[in-house]
Parts: sequence; C-alpha cells; structure tokens
Amino acid sequence: MDTLLLLLPQVLFDGLLLGFVYAMIALGYTMVYGVLELINFAHSEIFMIGSVVGIEVFRSLTGYVPNPYILLVVAVILGGLISGLTAVGVERLAYRPLRKRGTKNRLVPLITAFGVSFVLQDLVKLLEGLWHNEFFLSMKNVGELEQSVTLFGIFIQYKSFILIGVSLVMLGALTWLVGRTRLGLAIRSVAQDPSTAGLMGIDPEKIISRTFLIGGALGGVAGVLFALQYTTVSPYVGFLPGIKAFTAAVLGGIGNIPGAVVGGLVLGEIETLAGTFLPVLTGGAFGTEYKDVLAFLILILLLLFRPQGLLGQIVKEKV
Amino acid sequence: MTGSSLTVEGVSKRFGGLLAVNKVSLRAEAGKILSVIGPNGAGKTTFFNLLTGIYEPDEGQVLFGNRNITGKKSDSIASLGIGRTFQNIRLFSGMTVLENVLVGHHNRIRTNYASAIFRWGGFGKEERRAEARAHELLRYLQLDERADDLAANLSYGDQRRLEIARALALEPTLLLLDEPAAGMNPQETEDLKHTILALKADLGLTIVLIEHDMAMVMTLSDRITVLEYGSVIADGLPEEVKANPRVIEAYLGKGGANA
Repeated sequence: MDTLLLLLPQVLFDGLLLGFVYAMIALGYTMVYGVLELINFAHSEIFMIGSVVGIEVFRSLTGYVPNPYILLVVAVILGGLISGLTAVGVERLAYRPLRKRGTKNRLVPLITAFGVSFVLQDLVKLLEGLWHNEFFLSMKNVGELEQSVTLFGIFIQYKSFILIGVSLVMLGALTWLVGRTRLGLAIRSVAQDPSTAGLMGIDPEKIISRTFLIGGALGGVAGVLFALQYTTVSPYVGFLPGIKAFTAAVLGGIGNIPGAVVGGLVLGEIETLAGTFLPVLTGGAFGTEYKDVLAFLILILLLLFRPQGLLGQIVKEKV
Repeated sequence: MTGSSLTVEGVSKRFGGLLAVNKVSLRAEAGKILSVIGPNGAGKTTFFNLLTGIYEPDEGQVLFGNRNITGKKSDSIASLGIGRTFQNIRLFSGMTVLENVLVGHHNRIRTNYASAIFRWGGFGKEERRAEARAHELLRYLQLDERADDLAANLSYGDQRRLEIARALALEPTLLLLDEPAAGMNPQETEDLKHTILALKADLGLTIVLIEHDMAMVMTLSDRITVLEYGSVIADGLPEEVKANPRVIEAYLGKGGANA
C-alpha cells in the first residue's frame, strides 16, 4: 500500500497531462455541438492533422533551426492554423451544403462526419506516403525539451511543463474570447438561438465557420502537444483520443465549455489511475489494458445518475 | 437617426394549402406609427416574418426606403436597419441583460480581424464604447440597474422592454413591435405607450406595431391597416378604421364601437 501512495503524485500528474490533451480536443466537439447540435466526429482527424504537422515541423526544420523552443512555437502556430483551416474547409465542403438543402435528419451530417474522417485519414496517409514512404511517424529527439526535473517525487519533463502551460494559455484565451469579446457573444447568441441572432444582424453561417476555426485550432494545438509528449503518431492516431475527448465533452455536459475542460481532466485522471492501480489492486487479474473499460464504466454510471453531464443543464426544447 | 419608410406591394405567402398572407400592400411613412391589427390568425406575425427575412415572400416585394429587400437574409435586413421584437419573447435567456443589448449592437461595431488581433487597445476601446452605448439604451428603457442580471430573471414587462432595447441597439430606422403590451399590467402598458411615443419623437423612428390592446392602438397610431385571413380589409386613419363597418364586424366585434 505504501508503494501505491508513493506512486500517487506521479500518476495524478500523468493523468493531468492526458487530461489537458482530452480537454483541448473536447472543446472542439463541444463548441461545434453548441452552434450546430452536430457531433463532428471528423474532429479526431483535425487533432491527428495537428499531431502530424507537429512532427513534420520538428523533422524537417531541426537541421535548420536547432533551438527547440523556436521549433515548438512554429509547430504550435502551424498545427493550430492548418487544423483550424482544415476544420473550416470540412464545414464549408461537407456540412454547409447539407444545411443549405435543409436536411432535417440529424443522422445525415453525422454519417457525413464519419465519411470526412476516413477521407482525412487517407489523405494524410497518401501525403505522408508520397513524402516519406511511411506514415507511422516518430518525434525527433527534441533535445532540451526532453530534460527533466523531479519535484515532490514527480518526474517531470520540460515538455510536460510546456504541454500544461500551452493548454492553460489556450484555455484562458478561449474563456476570454467566448466570455468577453464580440465574436464570443455572437457565438453564444447563435448557440442559443440562430434565428434570433440573425434578426439581430449576426450572420449565423459566418459564426459557425469561426467556431470551426477556433475548435479546429485548439484540436490542432492539442495534436502538436500530444505528438511532443507521446512521440509517435500515424493517420489513425486520432481515433482513441478523439473518442475519449468526445466522451469527456459528454461527461462535462455537451455544449458547455468549462464542462469540456472538467470532463477532459476527470477522464484523464480516471484512465491513468485505473491503468496504474487496476493490476496492483486485482493481483494482476485485470491488467492495464482494462483502463479504458473502467473509464467508460465510470462514464456510464455517471451518466445514469446525471444524464446532462457534470456541468451541463437539462436542455429545454427550443421553441 | 431618422426613420425610413416601408412599402409593401402585393406580398403573399402560402404554407401548403393555407394562404397565410394574401397580396398585402401597405405603406408606413417615415417617422410615423403604423399599426397592423386583425383577429388572431390574421397573418400579422407571418407578415413580420416576411419583412425580416425569416420567410421569403412567394410574390410581391418589400421596399425599405427605396431599397428592395425582398428575399434578403435576416442578418442583412437587420444590418440595413430593421429591428424587431417578438410576440413570444425571444431573448437570449442565458445571457445578461447587458449582453442581450450588446448582441443587437454586434454589427454596429466595425472592428476587422486584423485590428482585433494586432491592436488590442483599439479593440478594447470599441468594446467599451459599445458597452457605454448599451448602458445608455438600458437607462432609456429603465433597465440599467438590472444590467448584470440574467435576462431570464426579469419580469415579463421588463423582458418586453429589454427586447425593445436590444432591437434599438441595431440603430434601426424602422422598428417592428409584435404585441409589445401582451401580458403587461395596466401601469406597464401605460409606460410602454410613453416609451413608444418617445421613440417616435426623440429618434424619429418609423414604427410598425402589431397590437391587440385597442386603446393603445388608437392613441398611438398615425395610420392603421387591418388584416383578416391574410388580406387587407381596411386601411386609414384611426377614426376611419374605427368607424369602418367591415372592421367592426371582423375584428372589434360588439364592443368595438366603444373602443
């Protein structure tokens, strides 16, 4: 038992890292759901694109720019930008035409999202195949960022500080943007009632596009940080984090921005705790591989008692 | 601000087999109050929806000033300067009173993205100006002390006045009021009457009013247009409309002569 307690700070810290990645992806799901009531399952691929961009920046530029911090800034900006623009493109090409046709059936855009997901996976696979003749990519050694310190018995790499720091800055910026700016106000008005927002001079289509841009950029930055921290990516790397971030968004209350963050952190911690302690506590009967089962089991139980999620409100039917 | 006229020429809207609005023509003179009255189901709200781009007319055209706005999207119409309120209140209930007004102000702040990103100072200044303007509007409608409350927590009468404040934030030249006195107590109705007259006098707004409160309609209106089953059955000065036998029969009923 003592060893378990000794492990605990490290486990909680690792859970925090994973939690921040989930939180940043979850924001993309929850924001798009907020304005469109669409679960954009292609968002996991937006995240994947960010992670691939992150790795490519380090792979192709390390020779020219030895300073890893500069590379990191470039990777974060490019990852966010390319992912954000891809998300906008997906909205323009796949979802908007469906809305224009007045498709009432919610399943249609959902199925489209799955289709977009496959297209993006294969597109990245094709491009990477042409470029490197391989599509399982590993992060370069990022030199200084690999260094570590031990604080309160927790082994922390510099890049983990960066993950947490960048996440906090992005979350802070998003909170400010949504809560305090004109664009944020417009996003919230479209989320509450697109038709009335239109009558107040706000173009809902424009706001939807901006929402995809912001959510996509957050997902892309999460991808870059994920690649830095967990070092291997492929065109298929988005699936599990994507599904878990979606889960986190539901756990926190879909459509609710602070909820997505809380849901992400909670899910990250549950998963890491389960992965570490499950084998120990069950004498090896359940291995680490059951961590996802446990995480989702807790999710199911939680939603049984709180179907609106941790911070969500019971949704009143829109008139 | 001065009002713009509104000219509607032969506008119709059909829903399946129902002809909700049938070749309606009317004109609201700049700076005047036009009331549109009629029994429930006469097509009054549908008519507002046609003016504001929620529905597209099947035929006819809508001129705002000299500008043809037929078939334009709601947000473009609103940006041109048509503000409206709703029969069933449609505030952003999850936002504060102030934020509701700021939403109305959205298109009146001209900050482009470059300045939003690169000139934080300037951006903040624009937003502060918008807030000051919003407070001004709230004071005008005696709502300023509730500025930071959630819109959902306001009383019914206050919510109706907040809808007017939000519509005014668009800096409209034409204001469409859809039953603004519905659900108000007599005192609130009396206050509302003064507010509407003040809007006309202070701001020179053109106002189109849908209302069931006949006393209010008769005091406020410069002209009245009467709809029944989607068609115009009468149009004229309040005294003319009040005396029109067809109107009395269709709408005012037995008590009409006393109204």
